[in-house]
Amino acid sequence: MTEDSLVAVKNLVVKFYTYAGVVEALDGVNLKIRPGEILGLVGETGCGKSVTSFSILQLVPPPGRIEEGEIYLNVGGKTLDIRSLPKDAIRQIRGKDIAMIFQEPRAYLNPVYTVETQIGEALLTHRKNEFLQKAIEALEKAGKKSSFEKRVYERMLKKPKSLVTKIMAKFCRKKTLMKEVHKEVVELLRSVEIADPERVAKMYPFELSGGMAQRAVIAMALSCQPLMLIADEPTTNLDVTVQAQILNLVRELRKTFKSSILYITHDLGVIAELCDRVAVMYAGNVVESADVYELFEAPLHPYTKALLESIPKPGEEFKSIPGTVPSLINPPKGCRFHDRCQYEMDVCRKIKPEFIEVKKDHFVACHLYGGSK
Amino acid sequence: MTSLPAYIARRLILLIFVLLGVSLLIFAITTLIPIEIRAMLYVRNVQHTSPQQLIEIAKKRGLDRPIHEQFFAWLSEVLQGNLGFSKFSQQPVADAILERWPYTFEIVLFAAPLIIFIGIFLGVQAAIHKDGLIDHACRVLSIIGWSLPSFWLGLLLLSVFSGYLHWVSPGPLDTNLLQFRNNPSSGFIRYTKIDLFDGLLNGRPDITLNVIQHAILPVIVIVTINVALLIRVMRSSMLEALNKPYTVAARAKGLDDKTVIYKHARRNALIPVVTLSGMLVAGLLGGLVITETVFGFGGLGQWAANAALQLDVPAVLGYALLSAFLFVIANLIVDILYAYIDPRIRLV
Amino acid sequence: MDLSAKWKELKVSWQPRIKEWKFMLKRIRESPLALIGIAIIIGFVIIACLAPVLAPPQAGWDPFMLRPDKDLAILTPDPTPPTTRHIFGTTAEKFDIYYGCIWGTINAFRVGLIVVAIALVIGVVLGTVAAYYGGLIDEILMRFTDIIIALPGLVLAMALVIAFPTAIPLNITLIILVVSAVLSIYFAAFKPQRKYLLPNQIILLISLFLYLTNPIVIGLNMSKLDKVLISLAIVGWPGYARLIRGEVLRVKNEDYVEAAKASGCSDLRIIIKHILPNTVYPLLIVVTLDIGSIVLTAAALSFLGIGADPNFADWGNIISMSRTWISSPELLVRHYYTFLIPGIFISLFVLGWNLLGDALRDILDPMIRRR
Repeated sequence: MTEDSLVAVKNLVVKFYTYAGVVEALDGVNLKIRPGEILGLVGETGCGKSVTSFSILQLVPPPGRIEEGEIYLNVGGKTLDIRSLPKDAIRQIRGKDIAMIFQEPRAYLNPVYTVETQIGEALLTHRKNEFLQKAIEALEKAGKKSSFEKRVYERMLKKPKSLVTKIMAKFCRKKTLMKEVHKEVVELLRSVEIADPERVAKMYPFELSGGMAQRAVIAMALSCQPLMLIADEPTTNLDVTVQAQILNLVRELRKTFKSSILYITHDLGVIAELCDRVAVMYAGNVVESADVYELFEAPLHPYTKALLESIPKPGEEFKSIPGTVPSLINPPKGCRFHDRCQYEMDVCRKIKPEFIEVKKDHFVACHLYGGSK
Repeated sequence: MTSLPAYIARRLILLIFVLLGVSLLIFAITTLIPIEIRAMLYVRNVQHTSPQQLIEIAKKRGLDRPIHEQFFAWLSEVLQGNLGFSKFSQQPVADAILERWPYTFEIVLFAAPLIIFIGIFLGVQAAIHKDGLIDHACRVLSIIGWSLPSFWLGLLLLSVFSGYLHWVSPGPLDTNLLQFRNNPSSGFIRYTKIDLFDGLLNGRPDITLNVIQHAILPVIVIVTINVALLIRVMRSSMLEALNKPYTVAARAKGLDDKTVIYKHARRNALIPVVTLSGMLVAGLLGGLVITETVFGFGGLGQWAANAALQLDVPAVLGYALLSAFLFVIANLIVDILYAYIDPRIRLV
Repeated sequence: MDLSAKWKELKVSWQPRIKEWKFMLKRIRESPLALIGIAIIIGFVIIACLAPVLAPPQAGWDPFMLRPDKDLAILTPDPTPPTTRHIFGTTAEKFDIYYGCIWGTINAFRVGLIVVAIALVIGVVLGTVAAYYGGLIDEILMRFTDIIIALPGLVLAMALVIAFPTAIPLNITLIILVVSAVLSIYFAAFKPQRKYLLPNQIILLISLFLYLTNPIVIGLNMSKLDKVLISLAIVGWPGYARLIRGEVLRVKNEDYVEAAKASGCSDLRIIIKHILPNTVYPLLIVVTLDIGSIVLTAAALSFLGIGADPNFADWGNIISMSRTWISSPELLVRHYYTFLIPGIFISLFVLGWNLLGDALRDILDPMIRRR
């Protein structure tokens, strides 16, 4: 299953140990994102979409813990088991191979630093040598062949870990380096269609509008050309018109950078418009995943069917799903959807259905389709 | 726009108001002082003036005029530096303050930075290692420190280090050095009136060291008792910052722990701590009353304590006014720092 | 029959609150710091209750006054170290330190609880009024609290204690005059209160007449202890006012208050029934910590000699007698018992309250945030 995918998640179990009890947030999640595809992850609030995305980057906050499961990343011809990587390796992946953008951009930007500082930070973390080289070349062109600055940069390239280098770097003002970074930041901001990027670069997050902030965050995420972008409900808080602009932007950027995108949302309309494949989550499980057209035309899982039926259509009555989402502290045994399902069978109450391929590239976890193999 | 000068101007006006209010409050208490005592300020030779003469002088100086007139007169006096007369120290309050402030300054100079830096450092460490050994240790130790009466801790340290181990004598300087300093023919010039600096300026570093030696115990007392609050606030502020979305985003960018904690979280966490530090330092003047008394340091605090014992209201009120004034100034500095650190504030 | 139905209704409506209290108690039981703090406080309560047994006062003498041991006084002018007769020793004035420590416990409770009670009442009333009515009243009251907070507590308390003349002549007629004048503005300005205007104006005229012809003045003879209590209360109330104001402001904008207003609740009812119960948690924390802090300040005042009378059985008072040896620390070491043991009493007492308060702060914080 992992061979043709960029990122594969297998049987992921995540639990949160809180004062109120143990919350079984993820109960064996299965996901696969192929290179260059946009996978939509859709589900109600609280079904575990965000926890899944945090788990991929090993950012699950305490009191949460990844208990079981595997997460694989295919990069450079190698398959990495993310859960077993040392901390340094994970940090290399974060921001460079897999980048993430969030729901409320202004909350996810540090309020006391400018946009430029924060994007520059991402650039310097992952593309430092590139900029050092550029700075050296700039200094050479300007004729300052043997300045202190140039020597510091050269040392930082050759012997970055030595103590002498660190001390020298502390005393150096690094103006040229910062200028190169600034140039790149402005270009990045321009590429996300921010007008007057020079001015915006020097602004603080609270001075930006929601749409502009989200563009800046996208620019930051794409600054190191990641293989995959995780977008956790990036347009939920924006006006519909701004949302359309951002979606267009995401599509354009996918064409330019060829990254995969894991797009998390609870809005089926966005899924229909943007994604190649869809995965549907309910109460900590992925219950169905298929190509987007396939899912909308021939949904298999009862929950997916009910979701699609509940989309309001003009002239028709509102159809809602009876019952409420179960508490994840003491989740129901068997299939977690069984008490709201109109096709409920005896076996659904006892055994949890497996996530199997029912049609080509169409996976379901339901006893209706033989999920108890 | 986020302009710093406009913000400062706004804060200044507010603070002037508070100063005015404080002086009103102090003045209200001043009116409870019998006028004979207030008249002493205008007399050169206090011993030889009879109470009747004092009352006459009081009447001449208008000390029995209606209250609102008196307030403005008093206010103009204060602004000119006339803070009343201290009966027990036989000198104008303003002079008494000028004589004694260097000793208080010597203690505060060491105590304030220590409180701030230790508080910030331990608070950050406690937050990073939440529920760990250092967190619990900091918590318990700081609660204990906060619970100790300052005079008791002072007496304890004094008796152990001074009375038992004889490491240092009470007072701001060794007696012989004190005599040397006061002796006009010794050639010791009091440039700044602060012994700590004068020692160096006069080529006598041993005096400076001696000052430090004497200041250690009072500084320990003040720091122990006041650092608790700072640690607590820094810890909770840091914990909050560490749970904020921007910290998660910083980690998701691939930044290492050190950068995330110290560059991103701590800078935001420091914001409320800066405010508290300013007020804490200004409030030190309260705790100094006890500490200076116990160690016989001869500064403003001890003077105020003795004045209170002698029921010398002008002196105590002068001290109160000074404390409030310093508090207000500290607030202003803190507000400016705050606006510098957090650009959001300049908009409000 | 109607009554039992109402009782059932009351029990049901209190259910969630009771559940939360049970949760809070459980958390307290699990927190070692809280338990130690409670244990210490209970220990002192026991000492306070058993004081007449532990340190029997002499008949005919006020138990709160220290009595010098005349036999020892003849022997030596110095303090005497602990012996079987005086377990903790005596001071230079031959006061039994053990006796002072035991009866000082009652005094500590008295000072702490009374001052906090007074400051709490004043602070809550003023804070609520300021927050609920807002506008000019809010501005004035908040500036007033700013002013008091600008002065260090100990210094202001010192100034107040020594400036209070022992007999304050209170011109009752003037006070009533001023109060009714201010109230008449309020009643005239707010329509629903108009009905109080007429009686108020009558009182105003009567007090004006009395003030001009035959003002009534009463003299308050305050003991030194009372002066300390009032001074500390004056220093302390702004803290509560600010806290309550913050909480009331937070709650005032909640939807259920709007709903209560919309269904016609009077202002007072809204305040008492809806707003104040939600402000209890932060208040509880501050009260617990404050009791310790006030006892510390009171002890400091006594230590400086401006607290209670010199013969009073007060912890700080006993230690104040050690002040004479500050200039000769060797004597301080020799007479260590005059300050060491009473100081331990103070520290433990304050520690108990501080531990409890700090533990409460940790426990109640998530509960406050849960709202």
